[in-house]
Amino acid sequence: MIAFLLSGQLLVAAIVTGTLFAVVALGLNLVYGTMRLINIAHGELVMVGAYAAFVGFSAFGISPLLCTIGAGAITGALGAALYLGLFQKLFASPALARRLEANSLLIFFGASVIIQSLVALGFSRTARGYRYLDTVVHLGDVALTANRLASFLVSAALCIAALLFLRFSVYGLAIKALIQRREAAGIVGIDVERIQLASITLGFATAGVAGALVSMTEQITPFMGFPYTITAFIVIILGGLGNLAGGIAAGMLLGFVEVYGVALTSASMSSVLTYGVFVGVLVLRPEGLIGRSGAAP
Amino acid sequence: MNVARAAPSAALVAAMLALPFVGSEYAVAIGFELLMWIALTQSWTVLSGMTGYISLGHAVFYGLGAYFVVLTYGTVPLWLSLPLAGLLNLLFATAVSLPVLRVRGPYFVILTFGLSELVKYVVLAVEAALGEFGRMVFGVPGVIALYWIMLALAVAATVLVELVRRTRFGQGLLAIREEETAAEAMGIPVVRYKMLAYGLSAIIPGMVGGVMALRTTYFEPQAAFDPIVSFTILTMAIIGGSDDARGPVLGTAFLTLLSELLWARAPEIYLIILGVALIAFVLLLPQGICGWLFPPRRPAT
Repeated sequence: MIAFLLSGQLLVAAIVTGTLFAVVALGLNLVYGTMRLINIAHGELVMVGAYAAFVGFSAFGISPLLCTIGAGAITGALGAALYLGLFQKLFASPALARRLEANSLLIFFGASVIIQSLVALGFSRTARGYRYLDTVVHLGDVALTANRLASFLVSAALCIAALLFLRFSVYGLAIKALIQRREAAGIVGIDVERIQLASITLGFATAGVAGALVSMTEQITPFMGFPYTITAFIVIILGGLGNLAGGIAAGMLLGFVEVYGVALTSASMSSVLTYGVFVGVLVLRPEGLIGRSGAAP
Repeated sequence: MNVARAAPSAALVAAMLALPFVGSEYAVAIGFELLMWIALTQSWTVLSGMTGYISLGHAVFYGLGAYFVVLTYGTVPLWLSLPLAGLLNLLFATAVSLPVLRVRGPYFVILTFGLSELVKYVVLAVEAALGEFGRMVFGVPGVIALYWIMLALAVAATVLVELVRRTRFGQGLLAIREEETAAEAMGIPVVRYKMLAYGLSAIIPGMVGGVMALRTTYFEPQAAFDPIVSFTILTMAIIGGSDDARGPVLGTAFLTLLSELLWARAPEIYLIILGVALIAFVLLLPQGICGWLFPPRRPAT
């Protein structure tokens, strides 16, 4: 048992899981950070991305790795449509904008139920899956399936790209500015509306990409989303709002907790661990996501 | 309460009392559903309607009540186990309320949801460790007997909301909803009031869960702690409006009828309509059907 716990096998599993968590949280961080929208439907976007890849591969034979692009495009378009159709109008009215943070949670909750039901209607409630790149690869004494390795490489690339984007691109800096001080960002000449549109599109798109990656290694169901929402919230509460490097570290930490926790107990404890950490984190940091940046909501 | 307001309530209670004598089995079943949701939604109002701390996790009380009643069924008589289920929930809610209620606003909402799911998975793990995968209950009371209990719970929950609203305590809760910091500065014991509201809102849902376990003669954690219960309560209260005891009744009636029409045939369509209704009311009619039908008379300021 001890040897198993110290083996590279679990370490690699934890890193792979953690990187995926970091990608899932990335999108939520963008959407919450720039607009203070509590996207409780974030996990449903992961689910939609997973189904997009499932359809792309099993109906059209497109490689799931290529499907990640299509999945990201679908959820990204959804985000853009939602912003242009609804949130832009809500931001425009001061009375509605004031209550938007609280209301956005209810709106997204309604949206998550709608998305789940639509997918359940279209694909039934049965769990789906497909086999792709399921040959075992050996890295030293660690064995893992090729799809897991591929999923890890894409996630890691996305994390690095996001870090570079936010650090060096003008748009990335504008997004960061918006996350740190909304009002000030407008004053210094940032086109707030455009950045918000870009953030929600990118945020939703990364969730879709993550979903396509998940579908390569896991069974998918219309109700798989919520644990991802919870995971993403834990990651950004722990990592700090708008802090991508912190988010990646927190994603890793959560990956370790989950993989080693399950290894020490049993697979049925996985949900207990996820929700337990979530409740614990919120109780210990009751100020929620805003605490560390010190900015007023 | 003036006559104009008391009369419809009395008429409704009379109609529900008469239902088992005149209605068909099907009508009684719908009446049962209606009473269950009224009891749950009114209880929810004591916390979430009054203080603005919106709970998306009342399924946890429902599930714990069901679990307790099923575990003790046959050893503890029902007249004792149902109140005990309520008491258990009061204790549980009070125990968790102090840390939970420090979390505010939207985080409170997702925290209640997470807490409910956490308890569900803990119960699932415990049941799995015990080798139990769903428990049957035998020799349960008839539907009509359970109907009377549910009617009593629905009336009790409604009376509870109305009573709380009339007290100093209820006014304190409303002040917390408007502006918690100001309420605290005014000398309202904010923490004690919130804890009490949380505890009070948990009692009846626990008893309802117990009755429902006997009605379905089955206990299974996934079903007893179903998040759809929490979601339905919230949607009913928002659609009906929770500033007035009539609101939850209207919201419940609306959704129960919709559910009767759709749930068995097309559960997905029902949930989609539920989601759309939630969004529409949040955006367009935040006071709910009740606030729209009976706009509150604002005192001159």
